[in-house]
Order: sequence, then structure tokens, then C-alpha cells
Amino acid sequence: MEAAFAILIGMFFTVAVYLLMSRQLVRVLLGIAILGNAVNLLIFTSGRLLREVPPVIPEALQVPEGTIANPLPQALILTAIVISFSFFAFLLVLSFRAYQELGTDNTVEMRVAEPTGETAPPQGY
Amino acid sequence: MAASDYSVDLSQAMRMDAVPPGDWLMIAPLVITILGGALCLMARKNTDSQPKIAIIFLTLLVLACAGLLARVLDKGVLTMVAGNWLPPFGIAFTVDAMGATLALTSSIVALAAAVFGINDIDSSGRRYGFYPFLLLLMTGVCGAFLTGDIFNLYVWFEVLLISSFGLLVLGNERAQLDGAVKYALLNIIATTLFLIATGLLYGILGTLNMADIARKTASSGVDGPLMTVAVLYFLAFAMKAAAFPVNFWLPASYHTPRIVVAAVFAGLLTKVGVYALLRIFGLLMPEARLVLSDLIAVVAIATMLTGVIGALAQTDLRRLLGYLVISGIGSMLAGLAMGTGPAMAGAIFYAVHSILVMTALYMTAGVMRGLGGSYSLRELGGLYRASPLLAAAFLMLAFAVSGLPPFSGFWPKVLLVDAALRDGHGWIAGAILLTGLLTTIAVGRVWIYAFWRGGAEGTADGQLTASLAVPREVGGAAVWMPIALLLGLVVIIGLQPEFMMQVAQRGASTLVEPLGYLRSVFGDIVQ
Amino acid sequence: MSITGPEATFAAVLAPFAAAAIAPFATRLLGANAAWPLAVVPAAIFLFFAGLVPDVAGGASFTPAVDWVPAYGVSFSFYVDGLSTLFALLISGIGTFIILYAGGYLKGHPHQGRFFSFLFLFMGAMLGLVLGNDLITLFIFWELTSITSFLLIGFDHLRAASRRAALQALVVTGGGGLLLLAGFLMIIALTGVTDMATLLAGGDILREQALYPLVLLLVLGGAFTKSAQFPFHFWLPNAMEAPTPVSAFLHSATMVKAGVYLLMRMHPVLGDTAMWTTILPIFGGITLLVGTLLAVRQTDLKLMLAYTTVASLGLLVMLTGTSWEKAIEGAVLYLLAHSLFKGALFMVAGTIDHEAGTRDVTKLGGLRGAMPITFAAACLAALSMSGLPPFVGFIAKEYLYAGTWGATGAHQAVTAVALIGNALMLVIAAAVALKPFLGPKVETPKHAHEGPVLLFAGPVALSLAGLAAAVMAHATGVYFISPVVSSVLGTATEVEVHLIPGYIGAALILSMVTVALGIVLYLKLDALRAAMARTLAAIGWGPDKGFDQVIAGIVSFSGSFTRLVQGGRMDVYMTLTFLVTALALLVPLTLTGNWPSAVPMPDFRFYEWGILAIAASGLFAVLVAKTRLTAIVSLGIQGFAVAVIFMLFGAPDLSFTQFMVETLSVVILALVMTRLNLRPSDHRPMLPRIVQGTIALGVGVGLAGLLMRITELSFDRSLSDFFEAYSRTIAHGRNIVNVILVDFRGFDTFGEIAVVMLAGLCVLALIRVRPKHAREEALDRAAGDEALQKSGEARL
Repeated sequence: MEAAFAILIGMFFTVAVYLLMSRQLVRVLLGIAILGNAVNLLIFTSGRLLREVPPVIPEALQVPEGTIANPLPQALILTAIVISFSFFAFLLVLSFRAYQELGTDNTVEMRVAEPTGETAPPQGY
Repeated sequence: MAASDYSVDLSQAMRMDAVPPGDWLMIAPLVITILGGALCLMARKNTDSQPKIAIIFLTLLVLACAGLLARVLDKGVLTMVAGNWLPPFGIAFTVDAMGATLALTSSIVALAAAVFGINDIDSSGRRYGFYPFLLLLMTGVCGAFLTGDIFNLYVWFEVLLISSFGLLVLGNERAQLDGAVKYALLNIIATTLFLIATGLLYGILGTLNMADIARKTASSGVDGPLMTVAVLYFLAFAMKAAAFPVNFWLPASYHTPRIVVAAVFAGLLTKVGVYALLRIFGLLMPEARLVLSDLIAVVAIATMLTGVIGALAQTDLRRLLGYLVISGIGSMLAGLAMGTGPAMAGAIFYAVHSILVMTALYMTAGVMRGLGGSYSLRELGGLYRASPLLAAAFLMLAFAVSGLPPFSGFWPKVLLVDAALRDGHGWIAGAILLTGLLTTIAVGRVWIYAFWRGGAEGTADGQLTASLAVPREVGGAAVWMPIALLLGLVVIIGLQPEFMMQVAQRGASTLVEPLGYLRSVFGDIVQ
Repeated sequence: MSITGPEATFAAVLAPFAAAAIAPFATRLLGANAAWPLAVVPAAIFLFFAGLVPDVAGGASFTPAVDWVPAYGVSFSFYVDGLSTLFALLISGIGTFIILYAGGYLKGHPHQGRFFSFLFLFMGAMLGLVLGNDLITLFIFWELTSITSFLLIGFDHLRAASRRAALQALVVTGGGGLLLLAGFLMIIALTGVTDMATLLAGGDILREQALYPLVLLLVLGGAFTKSAQFPFHFWLPNAMEAPTPVSAFLHSATMVKAGVYLLMRMHPVLGDTAMWTTILPIFGGITLLVGTLLAVRQTDLKLMLAYTTVASLGLLVMLTGTSWEKAIEGAVLYLLAHSLFKGALFMVAGTIDHEAGTRDVTKLGGLRGAMPITFAAACLAALSMSGLPPFVGFIAKEYLYAGTWGATGAHQAVTAVALIGNALMLVIAAAVALKPFLGPKVETPKHAHEGPVLLFAGPVALSLAGLAAAVMAHATGVYFISPVVSSVLGTATEVEVHLIPGYIGAALILSMVTVALGIVLYLKLDALRAAMARTLAAIGWGPDKGFDQVIAGIVSFSGSFTRLVQGGRMDVYMTLTFLVTALALLVPLTLTGNWPSAVPMPDFRFYEWGILAIAASGLFAVLVAKTRLTAIVSLGIQGFAVAVIFMLFGAPDLSFTQFMVETLSVVILALVMTRLNLRPSDHRPMLPRIVQGTIALGVGVGLAGLLMRITELSFDRSLSDFFEAYSRTIAHGRNIVNVILVDFRGFDTFGEIAVVMLAGLCVLALIRVRPKHAREEALDRAAGDEALQKSGEARL
């Protein structure tokens, strides 16, 4: 099962990385969103997959019966989802403000911090 | 909940010994910084009291870290587990000499920045969070240095990162937003790679506790997919540490925020990445370090040289200093590449020196801008007459960053070159020495243009611009006290490096001979 | 510890640093006359070392030491023997007069106090260098002399020539210093010895090392750069940009001799090998000839003296390089003589410059009436430099010829070179001492007259010392020369020094030939100068110009390289980063042979296939989306598909969270995209698309392969077993994932919440804070509106 998932995860990463290399910020943002999902799936698969049995202890028991899904990766992913969503929200607002101030969505044209046509360094003494 | 007829032996799940009171110092840094950050946040509107709160809490932080270092030097590696669960099941905080030293140095720098920020950050900046961000940045930094769990390390990296975002955009200038876009995206990718590597590591080893990982890799070796995961870790932290060729984010952004923010970044951010590399390749997967040592050496040499070459290419003082940060990272990576005790000690010592010196240099650059009106080497000039005190401070820091005696940069350089020559790494020794020479040229040029020259570029030979002929006051105590503090430490460490030398050697010995670290986490079960 | 015992060496070395600290205050109080009390410091040091001379001359040596960095094996220790005592006496003795001279020379200068400080810092560093025992300590003082020299050369910093000279000196001597550091560290690593005294007692300990050639070259790198040997000589004449007290002290008598000191000091362990006796005489000889020939070309008094200093250093290196016992005796005598006469002549040149206003020898003449004392001192010093009796320079020449004269080809060559060099030095000596003073009086920019005693005390004292050392030749030999030669040779040697030669031998004849040749050349000086000028113009290039070219070249290369590497384009940064990522995944996987074995066909149920297909199609839809709606909907589809996957595989909490977060993400994204009117379509040209597509594919394949391989391995479930066992029993929770989040790994959740809060703060800061220019514009606009309103009101 994990193998097929690995292929799907590979597809996720391919699309995410391709989008991240875009020149437009909005496509980069799409890439970030997909990247987050890809990483979550990767952690999920890494912890090994088990169909359908959630890691919940039945009412009557003190310890779960039989095999259950691996709870630890789920906890890690929950943390990762929340963190990556926070970053995503920040990036969205940052792109919004950057578009407002710099007037463009195209990173090739964002040359305020590192301007084009930089002159050579000073020479002499 | 049904009455339990299921008996449980608590000692199988939890640590039963009482926590000695001194051990609480391990989480004191986190508590202090979050409390301070929360208070500053609550005092949002009251921009006058925020610096006071922050300085008080950061002073407490320095004291706590100093106490922690003293305790670690006295008692050895310390461990405390959240919830008192047995490691490796709960999250352990494991503090050794390296982590404690770096935490102490970082907190000193943060305190200096908080004082410097009194002048540098206006009320709008304070209202929108300079001090809360600074305090929470320190939460992330201290958490990263003190934790003993690799996923927990990821969480602190994220806290550190988001705080740095906040500091970076404070002010909302166009250059800041441009720089922030590049900084944010590249750093998010770096931490994502870290997370991926951690997920895969969990998939291989089934554990997240650092000592447990060290134990498992020691017994089963690092081969197969674990080696690829190790390379992925190297890439992720090399990005965080701004190693060549994945350091684009640093020169793209470090010169955009307020100068005090740039100072904190230059001192702290990349060093956390170096710490992570030392921890992972020194303690967790030393076999991987052995296999990858040539690769790490090549990256180190490339980073050193491209960093200083980049510095020589700059006209803007802040960008020049950013490249010097990169160059310093290369030296630390060289220590990692060599991997022996003295080499790692050199890397740790260099990290402490770099934290102090780079922050001080950025602050000095801020004062130079205040006096000279610009950060450009073409427009600065005549500062030697205008402020001899500033000139003396800059000169000492310039010599320190070049590794010249009698300042703090000399001793780690000697340690690293010595380690390189002893183990036959001639290329590394040569690269470190050449980098030192080129750094001298780079900072020498800054000195010649900004201080000795009589004015901006094009001033007639022998002339001094009239406005600069009279010594001027620039900035009050808030500006000079932090610089004096950091410079004082640089001079003291340079003149009497014995303490730092011992601490660095202690830190290195935990990495090279991890028995003490493992014993601290697992007790005497480990043989 | 008695005040005169060798332990007081620490005080002797550290006293100048203390003086450096008080000098500015003393100058503020006393002005130029602060020189008198300040000169007490070096005078006291001189007396201290003079007190040690009898013991040292008797063969004793001392190694006072104190632990400095025991963790690294560095001690703060000194080695007091004949060689270091002589140097210490020269440094402190000449230093005393230099301090006085600086008082007179810079009288009235606003930064005179600072100047004294720098001089004292240098003096302390130089003393530490010649006395240093521990190798690292010695090196630290070596570098300190470079640093203080930098500050002193650039003292007149407003002129570009000074700045250039200072940087040049720092780079050249600093670069050599780095080589020396490597050399010292190698010595420590190879022999385990960390200090000079033990090293020198070790005999062949270094010569028998396989890496001896490398160690020698590294040490020579340091020594040659510091002592201005060809081709590193160019910084010394440029250092004449410094005020003359600096030139007289550092760049003739002390700092530049540091390299010679090191060679003499290490001769017992490094010398007398084929490499030593080949390299040193060749470089020394070339330096001697180049120095004197270039000196002839000069008309500036200081430059003439500077180039002859280069030549003298070459002579010293050449003699030390032969390793012949008598040549070394000559070298030590010449070292003493040179320090005395060169220091005096530099001070004379400075006095002429200070009083007459020019240093150009063609524009000076007839000053003997106006400056008689200076003239007398100049004559005495020049006679010593020319090697005429009864001066110590004559004795030095005699002994060095006695040392170099011999039957072999090497002897003949060295003698010939020495002869030519010495003859030319006589020419320069005469030019400096006679030309400005003799002949008809020439009008000078300033009305020349004798300076204050501060200015002539130095030249007089030093030139008289040169006379006294010769007249009391026997004492000089016993107390100064013999101990030094013993140190250099490594064995106790007695040197009999006579002023009057015992017999007419080869040495005396050679001396007479030198003098005769020198006089002949002096009479032809103008023609000689013109010929040199033509030759140099024909050659056109030299290491000095080379230095400028190298620096300029490095800087402009750096500019181009950095512009290339850090181009400024975000997409390039991303592409390169992911290229490295792809390589980081694919290369190790391939090299360790860890591609997964056969991919088994998974036995999914039809709905599981369905959801995987939906997720995949959502992905590709995002990729090719051209409109906002398509992009947003596709993003939602892939996100929700992931949520369903979570649900199907036993992660209901995860699924719920994913649904919520995905919804929020899509909504905010839609808001941003619509507000900004952004289109998600891709505008890239074909080639980048292909390259980036390949890289993305590489990353995807790498991660997929790695994950597949990992999941083939067996899995250690001990952590999860623990959580399952104790989740309800100890932590009282049934939902194990929740218990992990809030109890077992609650710390992570703590950090996660902090991140959310901080993200909110960041967003607030982004939205609310107006950038400065916007605020200023707003203020301007407000001001403008107000003005408009007011004027409107006024009109109404």
C-alpha cells in the first residue's frame, strides 16, 4: 500500500516543486499549499498505513485491541498542518502587500532589494 | 471512566526521581521569553514600557542561561522530560555545554539588541511587535539549542522563523517586502526539507528522541536510505546556515530590515543552522559525517571563499557584512568536516565569536549610517575625525572578524587551522588562511573609505569635508552600551580565551564521545 | 621576584602598553613636552635589559613564563638570551630617542597623543616579538606589529597615498603572517614542542622531518614579507608615507628587522641545510642589488634611505643564509651598525624636511651653517654607513668580508654581490649626508635652522653610539656580539672584535675597494641616476604596480562573480535550490544502491483508487489552470482528496483538520487573488519549463523512491506501543492522537500555538504599519490640504 502512496506523493512533490519555480507569486503560493499536503502525506505514509482503524481506545477497554493506525505520525502531521497553514496565511498577506507596494506579481520584476544594473564595487584607496 | 482493574507500573512509563531544583533552569529560558513576549504584547499600546519589560526579561534570560551553563559545566549533560515521561517517549530537553554556551551568547546578543532598539525602532514598530517578536525569536532560538527531540527542534525552528518574518517586515518599506518574499519562501523550503527528512527518519528508525537516534545509528550503522536522509538533513540545514550554493536568501534580504533586526539576524539565525548540523552530524549520525566529510569540506571551502568574494564585491555596507556572515559559516562547516575533537571545538568557539562580532558590526554600521548619512561605501567618509570612538570600535571589530590577534577571532582560527594541518587537510587550512587575508582586505577597504578618507568618493586628496571635521556625538547610551558590551566580550575573549577554550572543548567532547549525553537521557543502562 | 630579575621581563614587555594608555592624557596636559616623561618608559626598559647583559653575556638564558591558555597549551613566556637582549636594547634604546623625536617632529599636531600611543603599542608588540618564547605568543606579537604598523603608516590618513601604503603593508605582512602561522602550527604538530627555547635545544628535530621543506618555506614566507625581501620589498619604500619618526623606528631599525630576527633565531634548527643555504643567499643577494640600484634612482631623502634599508635587509638575509660562522659574525655586527646609523640618518632626513620644508636632494644644499649639529650627526652616521673607520660600520664590513671571502664559487659570488651593494650604499650615504649640507646655500621653502633638542638628540646619540661601539670594540664583542652569535649558531662562540685590523688581509682590501668604488660612483651619481631612470622606464612594471593590479583585479572579479551567482531573480534561486535538492536525493540513492526493489501492485479497493485518482487529477488541474476559478477549485479538490485519504486510513482527526484548513486556505487564496486581480496561468518560455519540469520530476522521483524504499523496511513501533499502552491508563484519554498532542508531546503543541499567534501578529504588522514614505506622503498631503483650506479661508 505504501508503495502506491509513494508514487502519489511523488506526483504531489513534482507538481509542488514545479509550481514553486514559477515566476508568478500566486503560482508559488499554490505550490506552497500543495507542498504542505505532500509533506503531510509523506509523514503519514512513513509511519506505515493501516486501513480504517482509528487510534481510539474503545469505551470499555484500557488499551486498544488489535492493530490500530499509528497515532504518532498523525499527531506530528496535525502540528505540521497548523504550522504550515500559519505560514501560508502569512505568505498570502505578504504577497498581497508586496503586490500593493511593488506593483507586480512577477518575481523577475521584484528588484528593489537587489536592483538590476548594479555597478562595480568602488576601486582605489 | 471505568474503574481500572488494569494495573500499571508507573516506573515503566515515567521518570520517578524528583527533578532537582537546579534542573528547572533548562526550561527557564523558554518560560522567561514567552512570559516577556506576552507581557510586551499586552502592553502593545504602551510603547514606552515595552523596552523596559523586554530588557528586564532579557536580563533574566541572560542570568538563567549563565546559570544553566554553570550547572552543565558542573554536573555534565542535563536532561529533563516534559511530563516526566520516560525518554524516548516524551519530549526531552537535553542540555550539553555546546547548547548552553550558544544559548548564553544568543541571549547576550538579544539583550544588546533590545537596548539598541530603543533608538532604532520607532513607536509604530514597537506597537506592531518589535519586542514581542524579539522575545519570541529568543524562545525559538533557546528552544532549538536546548531541546533533545528532533521534531521539537522543527517546532522551535518554525517559531524562530515566523518571529524573524515579523521582525523582517517591521516598517513595511518596499525593499523589506521584496527581501521578505525571498527570505520567507526560501526558508520555508528549508524547514520543509527538514520536516521531510524528519518524517523519513521516523520511518526508518521509529523514534524522534536525539539520544535514541544516536543509539540506534551507533548499533545499526548509517547505510541505505538513512544515508540519503542524512544528505537531505545536510541540505536542509545548509540552507538554514547559508552555505554555498543554497544561501541566496541571505544576501537578498539581510540588508533590508531595520539595522537592529539585521544585527540580530546576522548574529543568531545562521548559527542555529550550524548548531543543528553539529548536533546531527556530530551526535546523531557520526557515521554519515565520516562518509560525507569530503562533501562537507568542499561546501565549507566554497562557502568561505564565495562569502568573502561576495563581501569584496559590495558597495553597501550591510550587504558586505551579510557576506562576511556567510564566510564565517564556511569556517564552522570546515570544523564539522574535519570532525575531530579540536576541529569541533574550533567550530563551536567560532560560532560564539561570530555571534558576538557580526551583531556588533551591524550595530556599528547603524551608527556609521547615523553619522555619515548612508550605508554606501561611495558616500561614506571622514568618520575617523567625526567620531574617533566609533573608529576605534569598528577597527577592533574589523580585526576580530579577520581573525587577527588579540581579538576573539584569532583563537578559533588557530584551532581550526591547527586541526586541519594535523589531519592533513591542507586545502582546508589554506582556504581558512586565504579567507582571513581576503577578509582583512575587505574590512580594510571599508576602513579606508568610510573612516580614513576625507569624505565621500571623489573628495580631493588631502581634504576633509568640513561637516565631518568636528567630532560629533551620535546616539546616546542606548546605542553605545550594546556595542560596548559586545566589543568588550570580543576583547576579553581575545585576551583571555581560557574559559571559552574549555567550554568549546567540553562541547566538542560531547559530540565526539556521546556517552555522557546518552547516560544523561537514559541513565546508566547504556554501557 | 626582584625588580631587576628576569621575571620583570613581563613588566618590561607590558610597560609600553601601559604607556600607550596614558600617552594621550599626558599630551593633553603637557603638549609636545610630554615626550620627556614618556621617554622614561623605554629608557627604563633599556636600563633593565642593560642590567641583564652581564649574565646573558656569560652564557645564561632565562625563560620567564606564566600560564595563559593551558587548555590549548599556550603559555605567556619569554626567552631572554643574547639575541633577544640585543634586539630589546635596540628597540628600547632607539625607541627612547624616537619618542623624544616624535615630540619635536609632531609638535602642535592635534593627534600627537594618539601618535605616541601607537608608537608605544608598536614598541610593546616588537619587544614581545623578539622576546617571545611560546610560538603562539610570538606569533601574536608578530601580528600586532603588523597592525600597529598599519595604524602608523596611515597616520596622515587624508592622503590616498598614505592609505594605500598602509593597506599594502598590512596585506603583504599580514599575508606573510598567515604563512608563518601555518609554519608554527606545523612545527608544533610535528615536534610536539610549543616554545622556542625547547625547540632550539632539540638539535636536528626539524631538519630531519620529511615536511622540513614545507615548514621552511612557510617560515620564510613570514620572514621575507616582514623584512621586505624581493619580491615583497615594495611595501617598505611606500611605508615612507608615514611620519618620519615611524620610518626611523619601524621601517629601518626595528619592525623590518623582525624577519631577520626570526631567521637568526631559528638558524640553529632550520639553518645549514641545502635549501637554507640556497634560497636565502639568492633572495638576499637579489634584494641587496635591487635595493641599492633602486635607491640610486631616488631623489627623495627618505626614499633613498628606504631602498638602502631594503638592501641592508637583503645583505643580512644573504649573510645569515650562508650559515658560515664568520659571515654570521659579520651579519650580527652589521645588524647593530645598521640600526644605529639608519635610525640616525632617517631622523636627520626628517629634521631637514621639518626645518627646510623639502626632502628632495636636488633642491637642497649648503645647510651646514644653518643646521650644524644635524650636519655633524649626519656625517658621523654616513661614515658608519660607508664602512669607514673608526665606526662600527667599518668593523661590520671588515667582518662580513672576512666571512664571505673564500675560494669556492659561492664565496666569490656572495662577496661580489656584497661589494657592489656596499659601494652603492656609500653613494647613498654621501648623497644623504653631504649633498644637503655642503655646497652653496640653496633657497628652501622654509627658512632652515637647527631644530629643538628633541629633534637632534636622537641623531647625535645614535651616531655617537656607532662611534663608541667601535672604539670600545672589545667590550662590544664580549657583551653584545658573542652572545648573539652564540644564539644564532646554537653553540657558544667567542667573537674577538677589533677596531684596528690585525693584518692586511682580504677583508681590508675588499673594504678599500668598496670605498674606492663608492667614491667613483658618487662622483657619477647624476649620470647613474639618469641611467637607472631610463632602465626602470624601459622595464615599466614592478611588484608595486602588480599589487595595485592584483587588488583591483580581485575586487572586480569579485564583483562579476557575485553578480553572476547572486543574480537577483527569485525563480533562478528556486530553480538552483531544487536542482541541488534533486541531486541530493538522486545521487545518494543511486550510489548506495537503494532504489526500491519491485513495486508490488497494491490491492486497493475501488474507492481508494478513486480517491487517489481524484487527488492526482486535482494536482494536474492546478498545474494547467488558466483561470482563477480553475486554480482555486483544483486546489480545493486536491486538498479535500487528501482529507478523504486520511479518513480512509484511520486518521479521522487529521481528516477533520485537513478539511477545515483546506477550506480556510482556499477562501483566503480566493480573496487575495480576486482583490489583486491575479491570473494563475504560466508565462514561462519553453526552455525553462523543460528544465524546471525535469528538476521537479527529479525531486518527485527521488522522494517517491526514497519513501518506497523506507517503507519496505521493517518498522519499529515501540513509541506507538508505549502511547497505546499508557494513553488511557496514565494519561486518562481515549483518543490517542489527542493525548499525544496535549500530553506526551504537548510541548510541540505549545510551540505550534506560539507559531499561530505569531503569524497573526505578523499579518497585523504587515497590514497596519504604513511605510515611512507613505506616512510622509500622507503627512505632506495633510499639510497641503490644511494649507489649501487656510488659503481658501483667507480668500473667503
